[in-house]
Amino acid sequence: MSAFHQMGHDSRNLLGSVPGYAGAIISPVNDIEADVTEFVAQHASDAFEFIFDPQLYFPRRGDRGHLATWTYFPRDFETADLTSDAWWSDALTELAHTAARVGAAKVCSPALIASAMLTNDYYDAMRARSETLVEIAGGPGLGVLQTVIVRLADLATPNRALEIASIVSNTRAVGIYLVMLSDIRPRDELRDVDQLKGAMRLIHSLETAGLPVLVGCSSSDLLLWKAAGASSCATGKFANLRRFTEGRFNEADDGGRQMAYWFEESLLAFLRGSDIPRVQAHGFVAAGTNPFAATILAQLATDPARAWVALGWRKYMHWFADMEARLSAGIVRPRDLVRAAESNWQMLEQDDVFMEERSNDGTWLRSWLRAIVEFSRP
Amino acid sequence: MSADPKLQQVAAAVCADRGLVLGAEVGTGAFKHTFEVRLPNGSARALKLYRKAGADARTQREVDAIKRCSHPGIVRFESIEVWRDGAADYIYSIEEFLDGGTLTQRMSAGLMSPQVIRQLAASLADAIAHIAGLGLVHRDIKPDNIMFRIADHSPVIVDFGLVRDLQQTSLTNTWVPHGPGTPFFAPPEQLNNEKHMIDWRADQFALGVAMTVCGIGRHPYALVGINPHQVVDRVARRESPAPEFVAWATSNGLDPLVKMVAPWPIQRYRTPQQLVDALQSPGAP
Repeated sequence: MSAFHQMGHDSRNLLGSVPGYAGAIISPVNDIEADVTEFVAQHASDAFEFIFDPQLYFPRRGDRGHLATWTYFPRDFETADLTSDAWWSDALTELAHTAARVGAAKVCSPALIASAMLTNDYYDAMRARSETLVEIAGGPGLGVLQTVIVRLADLATPNRALEIASIVSNTRAVGIYLVMLSDIRPRDELRDVDQLKGAMRLIHSLETAGLPVLVGCSSSDLLLWKAAGASSCATGKFANLRRFTEGRFNEADDGGRQMAYWFEESLLAFLRGSDIPRVQAHGFVAAGTNPFAATILAQLATDPARAWVALGWRKYMHWFADMEARLSAGIVRPRDLVRAAESNWQMLEQDDVFMEERSNDGTWLRSWLRAIVEFSRP
Repeated sequence: MSADPKLQQVAAAVCADRGLVLGAEVGTGAFKHTFEVRLPNGSARALKLYRKAGADARTQREVDAIKRCSHPGIVRFESIEVWRDGAADYIYSIEEFLDGGTLTQRMSAGLMSPQVIRQLAASLADAIAHIAGLGLVHRDIKPDNIMFRIADHSPVIVDFGLVRDLQQTSLTNTWVPHGPGTPFFAPPEQLNNEKHMIDWRADQFALGVAMTVCGIGRHPYALVGINPHQVVDRVARRESPAPEFVAWATSNGLDPLVKMVAPWPIQRYRTPQQLVDALQSPGAP
């Protein structure tokens, strides 16, 4: 029942600056070992744990950021026989030692992203790697999260979620680190009902079986994952733009990374700066208890030309942790939030209020509502 | 039961060599024959003689599995030897002789009470938990393979002939339409040969079916008027258990049986300890 900070490019400055997070997921692609060791030593505590994601997702990907500088990164990753137990045993041993050395409390098992369909063979092999890591990591005293990568499109197939859950749940890992792959474009929201229901079924079945699920790379869709019973969700400062796509490790060229966004809970949407006055006139956009929101609004009032990108990230991340806590405590219900947001969007449309981005119209909320209502039905 | 004359001859030779008294043949499987034998002090043992053709990788796995087990709910293994008869080698083992008969025989006396079923299930679940802890799946839990010690009426799991070691390569080809096991007691993943889903939860399912048969005399997926083949088809298609079974289990404090026979492994108890706890705690879900 907690929120985690999904670290990314240049995001260590967010550690400790946004309250409500139970820990952070380290990104070796974005940080070198010396820096990670330093910030873990600075921030780790009983109330804030670090999880080491080895990010060994793409054996053949050229651009790996800092990944290749890490000692656990296999020098022959591109050419090795990745079906070899002996090869993995060495790689996992080095990974466990590295995770322990930097001070992580938990380590995620490596999971490759195959270009082909993720078959049962694949899931069984990844589960076996995780079990080996459990045996090895027990020495350094690390908890292991089994990384489970799913293609959302695959989960639209009836019973596929139960099939995958049945395979990966035969594990001694302390939980599941769930990474959902989709091919949606930046700034788009997930909206395929069958895919969403499949993902929710997967989470629900794992949690019901006693396996805590940490959903990686989530955003406002945490409402769906919490509705399905996810113990924890992780987000990062770029979650307003991108989910986990196979191009995630490539630099974004959409030009949107430096644009400020305001996350508006009453619409469950990210708004551009120019949208704010439009919706403010209709009673939306309020600081509430979010200190970063108050700062942004004050700044917009006195110095509207001044950039607030970093404040926007903090405001969003504050909202995420706060929402996670409210959902976990049962103070708010996903269904009610989505219903209210959809109703607000309808009101704006009736008043001819349209956002700057064409696709930012709230229509995905109907899919979310259906997914929340229908996911538990046979 | 009458043994192959050649096997009878080999069994007699083994007994003569080890100072045992050969008794009757008490069991015949696809790969082995079992004889009751007596030690010089008169106590009984089971002599299991594996036919030459069956003395392959599967036999070796059975023997290896039983040697690793040490639990009161699992047949006690004493020794294993190779007997050379001319150019042919036979493997034989000496095991505890279980004199209390099989669960099948006990079931012929009538349906069992929910209390007896719960106690029996809890004991057997503990044994299955031990097997699972070794990374093994029995894959043939059924009333014929559950025997009793007459002294304390404790149930004992026998016949590891279809055991699967999850650390080793499967001996069943993926193109086979169904995996090894007795279809009537097997879970969907075994019936459909979905090897990636076969783990200890397959044994959990089979135990749930066996306990249900003890309580109501029919399979939990049996709808009124359908035959056993149709029941197995329903299981393979992952249809829902029969409402009559669910009603019986939940109204008799046997709710864990409903979870044990769920169609998908993820819907059953995930860890052996969860199963043991559920069966040992009356009223637990």
